[in-house]
Formats: sequence, C-alpha cells, structure tokens
Amino acid sequence: MSSDGIILFNDVWKKYSTRDIFHKSLREEISDIFKREEREKLSDGEFWALKSINISITRGECVGLFGPNGAGKTTILKLIASVTYPNQGEVAVSGRVAPLISVGAGFHPDLTGRENIYTNGTIIGMSIKEIREKIESIIDFSEIEERFMDMPVKKYSNGMNARLGFSIAVHSSAEIILIDEILAVGDESFQVKCIDKIRDLKNNNKTVLIVSHNKKKMEELTDRILFIKSGEIINS
Amino acid sequence: MIKRLIPYKDLFLVYIWREFNIRYRQSYIGALWAVIQPLSMMLLFTFVFTYLIKAVVSDYPKTIFFYSGLLPWTFFASSVNYSLTSLTGNYFLITKIYFPREILPLSGIVMAFLDYVIASVIFIPMLFIYHIHITYYILWMVPLLVLLFVFTISISLLLSSLNVYYRDVKLATGFLIQLLFFASPVLYSIDNLSLNFKLILFLNPMTFIIENMRRCLIEGRGVVLWQFVFVSAIVAVFYYLCYRFFIKTERDFADVI
Repeated sequence: MSSDGIILFNDVWKKYSTRDIFHKSLREEISDIFKREEREKLSDGEFWALKSINISITRGECVGLFGPNGAGKTTILKLIASVTYPNQGEVAVSGRVAPLISVGAGFHPDLTGRENIYTNGTIIGMSIKEIREKIESIIDFSEIEERFMDMPVKKYSNGMNARLGFSIAVHSSAEIILIDEILAVGDESFQVKCIDKIRDLKNNNKTVLIVSHNKKKMEELTDRILFIKSGEIINS
Repeated sequence: MIKRLIPYKDLFLVYIWREFNIRYRQSYIGALWAVIQPLSMMLLFTFVFTYLIKAVVSDYPKTIFFYSGLLPWTFFASSVNYSLTSLTGNYFLITKIYFPREILPLSGIVMAFLDYVIASVIFIPMLFIYHIHITYYILWMVPLLVLLFVFTISISLLLSSLNVYYRDVKLATGFLIQLLFFASPVLYSIDNLSLNFKLILFLNPMTFIIENMRRCLIEGRGVVLWQFVFVSAIVAVFYYLCYRFFIKTERDFADVI
C-alpha cells in the first residue's frame, strides 16, 4: 500500500439483487457465519454491480467517474463512504469522507435549513462549535436568503437543497469529498462557483470524486477520469 | 459501544435535539404529553380496581402503586416504540452517509428518558400526599435504572435491526408489548409468591425492575443483592448478544432497507 494512497480498491466485487428478498439476506447473514465461500456465487436474481474493481487515488487528486446510468458509479461512492460493503475484495479509505451522494442527502424535510446545517454538518464530522463558527459563511456560500433559513427544508426547491448540501460539505474538514451529479442542479452562476470551489479544495490538498454526465466540464476540472461500464473500469 | 460513539458525540447530541424538535414541532402542549399517558392509565386502573373489580392489590394506595409501576413501564414501551422505526424511518440517511447506526435507536431511548423524567416530577408530590416514608433504600433506584437502560437498549437494538429486514416486526411488536405489559407486575405485585416462582418470573427483567423499583420507592425496602446479580447477569448476556447482532447486520442495512 503506497503511503499517500488515500482511497484503495483491491479487486472489489459487489453483488446486488433484483428482487425484494429481505428475509433471504438475513438468513444468508446467519448461515454465512458458518460457510464463508457461498458469498462468491451468484444465486437467482442477483447480479454483479461491480466486477473486480481496482482503484488507487492519492491525496489531493480530483477524479471523475463517467459512464452510463447503472454502470456502478454511485456504488463506488457508496463503498468509499462506508455506506455499503463489498462482497469480495478490499476497500481502504483513510480520512474523513463528506458524501453528497444525491441532492439534499441527509436533510430532514420537517426541520428548517438552519437545523439541517447542524444535523448534516455533524454527520459529516464537524463539531457543534465548528458549525457555529462557520454557519454564516455556509449560508453565504449557498446564496440562500436568510429568511429561508428558518423554513422547513421540505419547502425548498431542488436547487436550494443542492446548494445548501454542497455548501455544508465544502465547509467541513473532511479530507475526501464525494459529489454525485449535483452539479447539474444549480443554475449557471452557482455551477461556476462550485467549480471554483472544487479547484480551491484541490489546492488545499483535499481529495475530490465527481460523478457527472457532463464530460466536457469534467475533463476541464479533474486530473483524470475513470470510465465505467456495466461494473467494470474500461481504459482508465 | 461507548468507544464507537465518542468520536460522534456531537452528532448524537444534535440528533437528540433533532428528535425533540421533530416531535414537538406542531404539537400544542408539547412535553405535557409525557405526563398525560401514565397519568391517564393510572386513573383508569384506579377507577377499574376501586369500583368495578374490587380487588386488594397491595397495602398501598392504588394510585401511587400503579403510578410507580407505570413510570418504568412507560419508559420501556415508548423507547421500543421510538427506536423500532428509527432505522427504517431514516433510510434517506442510512443509504447516503456512514455514522454508527445505533445513534438512531439510542436517540429514541433518550427521548423516552426525557419523558420519564418529566412524568417523574408529578410522582414527588404524590409521595408527600400519601405520606410515604422515604428511606435511604431509594438509592437502589440508580442501579435499577442502569439495568432498565441496558435492557431497553438491548431490546431496541434487536428489534430496530430486525425491522430493517422484516417489517412484520413492527406489526408484531405492538401486540408483544401489550402481552408483556400484563406479564409485568404493573397492575399487581408478585411479592407474595414463592422464591422459585419469582426466579422464573425474573427471567423477564421487566418484572424484576418494576417490582424492585416499587419496593425501594414506596415500600422502603431494599433489593436482595444476589437476585440483583442474577438478573444483571441475564441482562448482560442479552445485551452482548443483541449488540453483536446489531453490529453484524449493520453492514447490510443500506442494501436491504
């Protein structure tokens, strides 16, 4: 393992099921304690979402993930965020992760914008004190008017959700920032601002992973792009 | 578990505060609800057992007898209720962000504990109204509360994680809680039973906890130490198993939920 490798995937396989068989997985879970090797086979209705993925990302790198819908891009982000775990292989991540897996992830619809800054901020590892110090600049960056901050988030537009989520993530002290398609939501001026901010993060030696369908923008922003198709990395 | 939670202590605090906010957001009398539930049950039981079924439940006034049992019971039952759907109700967090998942059921338990504290406040004037002689045995409440907490946490972790896999758990729990209510000595006392019989009943830790809280609160008697050790051992093993189960299943929550 290289010393500055911050994210490492070593022959990672991830299996998903097309069926809603909840109880089966619990049974598997219990029987797996006795027989480990069963996991490597596919049973009915299962498919490999990721097949033998090897990735090595170093600190301060900005990497794009590009590929058609359902290729496994979000699954890779979820593995980095420890939301889910591989069936085979190893995922090693060192450092705190701020995931933005989708628009408004982790916002509670009944709470106000301000309250959601606190809950969301602490989830991605900020302390209450840290948030209190940064809250003005979080609100400023999101460009949401003060009077909306005391309104429940369920009344926000998608764009406002995305701005607030992005603003919290970039203000956190997390070393790794995952961005999933959210660039597509904000308006033109906010997008420009986001891109500037991402460059800024890169200069501060933060690691950024971006999923997007806008290949041109990604080429301009990232150090390299991983092309993913049906669960495999092609010519990266 | 504590070791896992320390780095996330701010998150835990914010979570408790968040639960509190969500619960009382659009409610008019807010925290009063915490008192209304045990109080109304107490009045109903007192009415039934005074006028309809003329039974002698104990030597102590019925109101305070029932209320002292209803307090720990309500804490247990509402903890289970809050925590049961805490994982499934927060799927939008679980599928997006990592944090120790036990924070969700635990903040439900803390909420139920706040209710318990609020409901306990009206217990204090009751002690004076009925001239209850308070002895230093009341200090037994501390280890009994710890026991109640550990048992409640174990059940909540087990049921909330099972509910991720089988939503039947939610349907079954309402009915099981009701069964357990009648199996626990809220409406009666097991004080006059033989020791062997008591020990069998103590396999339900709620029986031990409710019976003994009442003993040291209103009867001014202590807890038999070896019985306390016996039940604590059962609860400790149960906690260990439930926590292991939770940690084992936690990894799959995001995929199954």
